[in-house]
Amino acid sequence: MIGVPTSAGFVPPSPADFWQPLIGDGGFAITRPMFLMVLTTAAICLVLVLGTRRLTLVPGRGQWALEGVYGFVRNSVGRDVIGAAHVRPYLGLLLAIFTLVLVNNVMGITPLVQYPTFSRIGFPIVLAVAVWAVYLVAHVRRNGLIGFLKHLVPPGLPVFAVPVVFVLELLTFLVIRPVTLALRLFGNMFAGHTLLLLFALGGEFMLLHGGAFLKVVSVPTFAIFFFITAFEILVSFLQAYVFVLLTSLYIAEVYADDH
Amino acid sequence: MTGSLAIVGYGLSAIGPGVGVGLIFAAYVSGVARQPEARGMLQTIAILGFVLCEQFAIFGIALAFVFSG
Amino acid sequence: MTPVLTAEEGFWATAYPVIPHPGEIIAGTICFIVLLVVAYKVAVPRLETMLAQRQAAIQGGMEKAEKAQAEAAAALEEYRAQLADARAEAARIREEARAEGAKIIAEMRERAAAEAERITEAAGRQVEAERQAAVTSLRTELGGLATELASRIVGESLTDSARQSRIVERFLTELEQSSPEEVRATAAPAEPAAPSTSRGTSR
Repeated sequence: MIGVPTSAGFVPPSPADFWQPLIGDGGFAITRPMFLMVLTTAAICLVLVLGTRRLTLVPGRGQWALEGVYGFVRNSVGRDVIGAAHVRPYLGLLLAIFTLVLVNNVMGITPLVQYPTFSRIGFPIVLAVAVWAVYLVAHVRRNGLIGFLKHLVPPGLPVFAVPVVFVLELLTFLVIRPVTLALRLFGNMFAGHTLLLLFALGGEFMLLHGGAFLKVVSVPTFAIFFFITAFEILVSFLQAYVFVLLTSLYIAEVYADDH
Repeated sequence: MTGSLAIVGYGLSAIGPGVGVGLIFAAYVSGVARQPEARGMLQTIAILGFVLCEQFAIFGIALAFVFSG
Repeated sequence: MTPVLTAEEGFWATAYPVIPHPGEIIAGTICFIVLLVVAYKVAVPRLETMLAQRQAAIQGGMEKAEKAQAEAAAALEEYRAQLADARAEAARIREEARAEGAKIIAEMRERAAAEAERITEAAGRQVEAERQAAVTSLRTELGGLATELASRIVGESLTDSARQSRIVERFLTELEQSSPEEVRATAAPAEPAAPSTSRGTSR
């Protein structure tokens, strides 16, 4: 960790703590989150390939867990939001996003790793752009460009409000949705990890360099650290769930006139 | 005392989402209490509302860093 | 914010965290595409195939169970029908037996009554015949005796049969007219109606 306290004084965690290049420096340096990303992707791919190699009708324990994740994405998110009739082409996207986000978020509280990959905004941007492209392409392919533009303005609006709403909706579709999608994931992971760092480093500093009173105070600080770690588990799942939920909602809008 | 005013700004900006999230879950709790069988549907909606509300706080974090430099 | 620590590490160390790192974007894109390919080419088709098979299996199992249930219901229905039939049969047999028994009893009673009547009648007839015989023999004997006695007393032969019988007849008629009750009572004790009632009332 870069923010290791010195006797000169406590250095709070900062964005610089998230910059951890392994090889080289600069725009194309191999960084620790990149390495983690490749590692987790490889692990997920391995599980998805090997885990589905011999599927049986009566699942074993491993298959049961895999099916649990897949069933959650497929039924609780995809089918319930998009609808059973249209969900099939998006299942792979939802499954990939959910597993990737979940595993990488959990990396943030995994001992020895403790780095949430998605606290680097480059990765959430990739996912958000992918979702953005998918729902725009789906929209245009299904309803046509004109239909898509028409869909932006709800019917029954007074004439003077139409341009305003149109611009706002277009902005929502093209800018706000992908940006919020990326920023939400990034912000949650970044803030959560910063908080963890703060309590870990602060507790350590108080214990090692503080006076008698601060040494005592460091105990509840570490307690809060554990509490926040537990909270981060919740946030990891929640963010993965929210990401696929919003993806499904955006995709479901393509088929909104269907039901 | 030194520091960044952006952090104070972020603290202020977090009030709104905080209130919003509280309202959403209050409505969710009372909704489930009234109709326990609607829990699954309400949960999705509540989390959706929570997320849409929370995103402003998240923007706050991002912008706080942007303006703190 | 932390210039002392990060000054020598260049732009990316102090960059705002909202500025994406190009290398990370490239790495993320590659990884995500690989994962998408795996998900679309391998995981989802395999899982969907398995789920479809499982659903078919479950549906088949459910159909089988339904069929078995229907069979069981049919068997139960049949059994119930048989039971009802048997019950009806038993009730019918019992009814028949009861009717037959009643018939037999009635028949027996009838036969007994007929027998009794026959016996009574026969007895009556016998008594009548005996009475008749007694009357006849008495009449003959009495006539003979009387004529003999009379002829002895009178000394006149009354053997002339025509006269003899006329006399006897007259005598007997007188005798009957004087006390018909007595004569009949003594002559026919088995006659049921008059004597028994008279006896019953007298008692």
